[in-house]
Amino acid sequence: MKNTLMMVLAAAGLAVTPALAGPTEDLASTCNACHGLNGVSVGPTMPSIGGLPEAYLKNVMLQWKSGERYSATMGRHFKGYSDAEISALATYFSKMPWVPVVQKVDAKTLAQGKDASERCETCHGVTGSEPDDNETPKINGQWAKYMHLEMLKYRTDTVKMPHRKMRGNVKKLDEADVEAVAKFYAAQPK
Amino acid sequence: MSFNRRDFIKTVGASSVIVPITAFATPSGGPRTGGKARIVVIGGGFGGATAAKYFKVVDPSLSVTLVERQTVYTSCPLSNEFISGHGKIEDLQSGYDGLKKRGVDVIFDDAVSIDPTKKTVKLKGGKTLSYDFMVLSPGIDFNFSGVEGYTEALANTTHPHAWKAGPQTLALKKQLEGMKDGQTFLISVPPGPFRCPPGPYERASQVASYFKSRGMMKSKVLIADANDSFSKKGLFEQAWKRHYPGMIEWVAGASGGKVVKFDAKSNTASSDFNDFKGDVVNIIPPHHAGNIAKSTGLTNDKGWCTVDMLTMESTVHKDIYVVGDSTVHGELPVYGAPKSAHMAATQAKVAVGAIVAKLNGAPVPEPFFVNTCYSVAEKDWGFSVVHIYRKKDGKLVYITDAGGISPVNMDDEAQLILQRKLESEYVHGWFKNIMADAFA
Repeated sequence: MKNTLMMVLAAAGLAVTPALAGPTEDLASTCNACHGLNGVSVGPTMPSIGGLPEAYLKNVMLQWKSGERYSATMGRHFKGYSDAEISALATYFSKMPWVPVVQKVDAKTLAQGKDASERCETCHGVTGSEPDDNETPKINGQWAKYMHLEMLKYRTDTVKMPHRKMRGNVKKLDEADVEAVAKFYAAQPK
Repeated sequence: MSFNRRDFIKTVGASSVIVPITAFATPSGGPRTGGKARIVVIGGGFGGATAAKYFKVVDPSLSVTLVERQTVYTSCPLSNEFISGHGKIEDLQSGYDGLKKRGVDVIFDDAVSIDPTKKTVKLKGGKTLSYDFMVLSPGIDFNFSGVEGYTEALANTTHPHAWKAGPQTLALKKQLEGMKDGQTFLISVPPGPFRCPPGPYERASQVASYFKSRGMMKSKVLIADANDSFSKKGLFEQAWKRHYPGMIEWVAGASGGKVVKFDAKSNTASSDFNDFKGDVVNIIPPHHAGNIAKSTGLTNDKGWCTVDMLTMESTVHKDIYVVGDSTVHGELPVYGAPKSAHMAATQAKVAVGAIVAKLNGAPVPEPFFVNTCYSVAEKDWGFSVVHIYRKKDGKLVYITDAGGISPVNMDDEAQLILQRKLESEYVHGWFKNIMADAFA
């Protein structure tokens, strides 16, 4: 009933409030506590999620739920929601603008990161803003610390990370380059 | 969420065309019930600040007043890490400018009494505010008579409980810094439910971490507990064994751990069976809902506010929604939903959703309650508990398929180290975001 009403309002050309306007919005508002309002994180170890590709968001959430993809915390959350709810969340956050949080990096690290990130380009784009498909996240202006920690997962052999190409490439990085690569992408505005 | 022409006609028909539609519209201008409603929020912690903010996020035209005693809020989350020497007190603090910028009328004053019939609240400074809806988030107050000999005066001077972050947090940190190798830090834990279920055990871990990092290996932490078990017990015990072998001793309630008496002169806390001595004694006194909730008659015989599980509306007085540590909410797992910052924030969002729906004549939205609570036992050694509460068959239930604590054991050492490292880092990102979600 409430959803239908929102649709009526939208059809009538009236603005619909972006938050708390329906079940998906209400559920999504619980994500804000860790991922920020409109999916823009202000905490370096938590990723921004607003504006990431829908298929990517849906994949990771469903994989966490099933246990196919390792997570430290998120799997315990998504076991509480239906696949349909997870799909709706993916759609909701994918429709938000991607707001890069551009982080300052010293010139030396930037150059080191740029060099080492060549192997990432094919899938994520030169600056991380142009993924080659809908299942690959944007990473320009993503939090460096988060990306660094995420790469630690890929570099730990026995935890489940289903993306073989990503695992292969992250493992090929020199240990000393991991942080620099994360910082390079974190510094990219677009 | 399908929508067709028939639904459109039905819906428009039911709301007798055009005019009522604007009454339902939440965000844009035009006449509506919400715009005229006066909302008063009492208490500017995680619960109250989040509520005040989200009213404005949902409908900027709502009139929202926040009453808070202090101009600067100090977070309890991460305050144990601060006591053991990590970060600055400013890192834990926020003012209220963010809420003011959103159009919240912030009044720094003390709410002294609420008249739930006239729907007014009297402030110490002399003002009386009228409300259509109130969100009450008063946090906790202490029952000092629960430990004979321990007083508010002691708490404010020589024996801080530091269970409300602020000056007492600084005082306890200073006491820890004055300790010598071989001395004992004693923590007395009150009967549950209490604020931050894993908090006392995280504090014990952080104190041990402080000792260890300074080579004070003969020092000890003694926990005298009124309870027979505790939050994340397996995870804490694993951390203690690994990082602080022999340094932390826990005495359960059943073994005479329940402190009922304290002698400040000899620094001795006593249960009916044991005397515990410490060089620094940290008594966490029993607590109950904030005094204003008690004096308004909103509390049960145990001192906590009972609420409608799906909306957070008080079961005692209509149009007062109680959120945060002062509530008893949800039957599971032990004492109901944990008294945590995250739970308070999620309850606040549910209360806002329920109130706005009521203002707009819409049905009560489905509530979503989520809790993520991290504890850090040592550098690179963090873990969490997750709780998901949902509506099932008209009732609020704890979803047992989801949630739970971080895995205690994992397939191999590399996984375990990764898991603990990740969560020890996540807590800091969580903290920045939840502070911003409430105050910015």
